[in-house]
Amino acid sequence: MSADTKIAELLTELHQLIKQTQEERSRSEHNLLNIQKTHERMQTENKTSPYYRTKLRGLYTTAKADAEAECSILRHALDKIAEIKSLLEERRLAAKMAGVYSDTDPPRKTMRRGVLMTLLQQSAMTLPLWIGKPGDSPPPLCGATPASSDYVAKQGDKVAARVKAVDGDEQWILAEVVSYSHSTNKYEVDDIDEEGKERHTLSRRRIIPLPQWKSNPETDPEALFSKDQLVLALYPQTTCFYRALIHTPPHRPQDDYSVLFEDTSYADGYSPPLNVAQRYVVACKENKKK
Amino acid sequence: MSELKDCPPLKYYDFKPVEHVKVCPRYTAVLGRSEDDGIGVEELDTLQLELETLLSSANRRLRALEEQRQILTDWQDKKGDKRFLKMGKDPDQSASSRHKPKKQKLDGKGSHAPGPGPGRPKLKNLQAKEYEFNEDPQDIPRTPKNDSPNRFWALVEPYCADITNEEIRLLEELLKPPDDEAEYYKIPVLGKHYSQRWAQEDLLEEQREGARANDKKKSIMGGPLSELDAKDVDSLLKKSESQHESPEDGCPFGPLTQRLLQALVEENIISPMEDSPIPDMAGKDANDGAGTSPRSQSKAFGVPHTRSLEARIKEELVAQGLLDSEERPGAGADSEDEVLAELHKRQAELKALSAHNRARKQELLRLAREEMRKQELRQRVRVSDNEVMEAFRRIMAARQKKRSPTKKEKDQAWKALKERDSILKLLDV
Repeated sequence: MSADTKIAELLTELHQLIKQTQEERSRSEHNLLNIQKTHERMQTENKTSPYYRTKLRGLYTTAKADAEAECSILRHALDKIAEIKSLLEERRLAAKMAGVYSDTDPPRKTMRRGVLMTLLQQSAMTLPLWIGKPGDSPPPLCGATPASSDYVAKQGDKVAARVKAVDGDEQWILAEVVSYSHSTNKYEVDDIDEEGKERHTLSRRRIIPLPQWKSNPETDPEALFSKDQLVLALYPQTTCFYRALIHTPPHRPQDDYSVLFEDTSYADGYSPPLNVAQRYVVACKENKKK
Repeated sequence: MSELKDCPPLKYYDFKPVEHVKVCPRYTAVLGRSEDDGIGVEELDTLQLELETLLSSANRRLRALEEQRQILTDWQDKKGDKRFLKMGKDPDQSASSRHKPKKQKLDGKGSHAPGPGPGRPKLKNLQAKEYEFNEDPQDIPRTPKNDSPNRFWALVEPYCADITNEEIRLLEELLKPPDDEAEYYKIPVLGKHYSQRWAQEDLLEEQREGARANDKKKSIMGGPLSELDAKDVDSLLKKSESQHESPEDGCPFGPLTQRLLQALVEENIISPMEDSPIPDMAGKDANDGAGTSPRSQSKAFGVPHTRSLEARIKEELVAQGLLDSEERPGAGADSEDEVLAELHKRQAELKALSAHNRARKQELLRLAREEMRKQELRQRVRVSDNEVMEAFRRIMAARQKKRSPTKKEKDQAWKALKERDSILKLLDV
């Protein structure tokens, strides 16, 4: 299969890139150590002579160049991973379309709930982290940054979809895009929980694309939802989104949000703080409903 | 300003690289592998996370380095500039004006916003940014207020709130009998029977139509007929009335008079022999009247005092004990009037209901007044509670200062306690 060979090739390339990364890192390590020493000496002498200043400036410039190189090669490696993943995803979609499931991706129909939850958790964890170059601002669909108004979710993208349940209640469910019709402006989506069984055709107003990058709280905290903001968040161990307030935003890239779900069974109207991954927290649009 | 000191404001960041052996095990493992072993697809997720960690750290280092380097450069440039500018006439002003933008640029870096114009405070910059953020309504949805408890308490409040004078006054107002009460107990006089009223209406209508028809004739005839039409409705009506009444009730006497008379003349009817004088009389009358109808004769026969005669007969009958009393015949006569009976029934109901309501209102007013009194007492309890607490605090303060409380303080405390007790007793009664 050509896709398989392609993937194998890419994996080899990735391996090389990782090795190069380490070379780059070892190279810059020396310089960083130098800076460290200079810092210490300057601090003990408690004054900055022109000599140190010039020296430090030189060291900083070199270290900066090193860091740039390291960043670029790391980005390269991450791009490679993303490429492999998209190939894998394509393969999965193709299999799904054909109605044949490969061994690595067992049929969803037989998937137990616990397995599905683990998969969702994993997909949230491996959502790529957005690391911009200095001066770059986070792109759309990074963390809390919404998609542009004309954005169209691609096939296979995960979205929050507002569907009408059998009992007439409206609910935001986690769904996967099947197709989008430009003539009717409507999406076809599959409920992630009951794949193949329930297919919904929904107008784009009822679709919120999920973030495609995690925002890094250390560098881009403004691309995160802030405390007390109203959001839709995936309730743990379910595939439904509910209204919630941000309790604490994540502090590190791998951290989750801590959110308070609106829940009338609690005295103050909110659940105790629960963790929800960045991937499953989206802005809540509906203002009219109380 | 820190720039004016001899040291550049360096932060001496710790630029230690990430210890990949500790933090990134998978990455370290991959590094150790040969080309042939390669990487498995299943390792991608973990690798991605580790590479992200490395990139994030490198990125942070890059930013910090850039920032520090800029500080060094600025500081050096400034020193150089200063030395150079000291020869100039107004060094400070020109120096600051020249370098402000640079400083601002540095400041701006932290917040990822391009530096604003010189002299503009940073705070404003941040506000402006926030405003931009606000512009997209999707970004900052309104935070929901959970006001269920508030709504609940607002609902319950009226039931628990203190009673005010306003409410007492309202109750008293309600206790006053309404002005229009008498209106409901009035029994309107019996009007004309509907058949008569309808007859009158019909006649009026016919007459109006006739007048319309006459209008055409009038132009020719000159109007004596129209005059008659307009004026003589009443006379016509009277005629019709008499025609209506005559078959049932030929004579103008009241019912009692008739009954009495009937009782007296009955025997005459039985013996036909004695009938003869009547036709004679009639014949005489007919001769006398010469051409008048027997109807008009009966009218002439009508006595003007029939009403008073009827009243007097009634009075007499009552006095003789033949009729029970004034009321009995009245009630008896009215018993046939369904409307009146219904009216009486409803009025009785209304009376009972309003009496009941009045009793309730009075009870409520009494309770409210009592509650007011209690409220007042409770208020006083609260005041004296405070006094007791105050006294307690004073004594505690004295104890803390290791001195026994003064007599005045003790007296005050006792007084407050006793007063509180007495009010509580009052409240319990």
